[in-house]
Amino acid sequence: MLLEKCKSEKSTKNGETMNNEVVDLNLAEPTIFRQWTLFMENRGIINFDSSETRVIDSTIGIFDDSDRLIATGSSSGNILKYIAVSDDESYTGLFNSIVSTLVSRLAQRGIFHVFVFTNPEHMASFEFVGFKKVAQTDFIVLLENGDQTIESYLQSLPRIEGNPKIAGIVMNANPFTQGHRYLVEQALLQNDFVYVFVVSADYSLFNSQERYDLVKKGLSDLSSRVIIVAGGDYIISAATFPAYFLKSNENTIEYQSELDAQIFKERIAKALGISSRFLGSEPFSKTTGIYNRVVQETLEPDINVHIVERKKNDGRYVTATEVRKAIKNNKIDSIEKLVPDSTYDFIKSNLGRLQNRIERGMNINGN
Amino acid sequence: MEIENTALAGTLESSDIQIMISKGDGKITIELESDVKKEFGDEIESVIKQTLAASNIESAKVKAVDKGALNCVIRARTLTAANRALGIADKPSWEVL
Repeated sequence: MLLEKCKSEKSTKNGETMNNEVVDLNLAEPTIFRQWTLFMENRGIINFDSSETRVIDSTIGIFDDSDRLIATGSSSGNILKYIAVSDDESYTGLFNSIVSTLVSRLAQRGIFHVFVFTNPEHMASFEFVGFKKVAQTDFIVLLENGDQTIESYLQSLPRIEGNPKIAGIVMNANPFTQGHRYLVEQALLQNDFVYVFVVSADYSLFNSQERYDLVKKGLSDLSSRVIIVAGGDYIISAATFPAYFLKSNENTIEYQSELDAQIFKERIAKALGISSRFLGSEPFSKTTGIYNRVVQETLEPDINVHIVERKKNDGRYVTATEVRKAIKNNKIDSIEKLVPDSTYDFIKSNLGRLQNRIERGMNINGN
Repeated sequence: MEIENTALAGTLESSDIQIMISKGDGKITIELESDVKKEFGDEIESVIKQTLAASNIESAKVKAVDKGALNCVIRARTLTAANRALGIADKPSWEVL
């Protein structure tokens, strides 16, 4: 602290220094919220869907001498959001002040790996302050900054030597069922090896460690050909795909699916030598249905996409949703055939804890 | 000494430099972003290296975003980031400067 500049952040107008401090904005205050949304609408940001705004942890702003908002930015977990600055060219340094303050505050909370979504025309501004591109679609760019990068994530994954045929599968596995296992088996019929990426984000009834462990146990007999890895920040995470876990409109789901697929295609599959992706057909979830379609459109023709008809049991599709319902309704005998022994044993011995989570409000109808 | 934790010091304001130090792989690596990298990149990197060397830090990854900082500022920010990463920010070794 001793060597840090004192707290006031400065910006300049017409060469004169003004003491426009960076202040906290309380968006729960209706007048502040209105001023904030109005300012951003003028800057072309128009999505104030509550699924986006209610996950904001903190919002800061800079006001001019007549109390008009001239810059703002927010953070949600390790993601910077809603960054907008006045286009009055006589102000300089507003953008840097906002980004700098957000990054420093996250650092104080021990968060050093930061993401930002923006549109391609603003990419350069973020690159000037140290951010690096992860992936890009026509409408959206994901950039990151800090002590980890997608390169370091990819380097941490086990590699397969030689030139075998490798497939990739992404699963949330909440929890791991015979359906997930069937999908892996189908992929193995046509490939030498399969990477299974288990979604790391913790928005599900079974937490990420439990889901990862159950995938590992449920596939342990296939471990010579199946490589199970955590998806980290780069596969269906809060950074790539927040809409997967929140109720969101279809456009949001679509552009986030495309970004997620783009990261898989351009970064992950290229680094690991993955030539095809296997997905389970989706009869029920709207989000997953859109996701499957967009993934197919984005990955092909570079990567072959196989959408495998879901496994059935007694004429009904095996789904993890069904398993979660049975947990809630205390009818776990009915799911014994739907899950491997390892998953069943886990549910049996942790039934109370899982039901507790549902009672405390964990949503079990989403993904 | 080796850096184990990540730490940040400095801002992106004009005339400042933002320094992030994290665990290295046995040597000092510096990733520098600066408008004047062509003119002053080598100098900025050497000031960072000297400051770390004076603190006996042999392994660290440094990300620096320079906004036209003077050498004294670069030294101060580097030292602060290093001290924070080492958990000794409350007793800085001033003689390093």
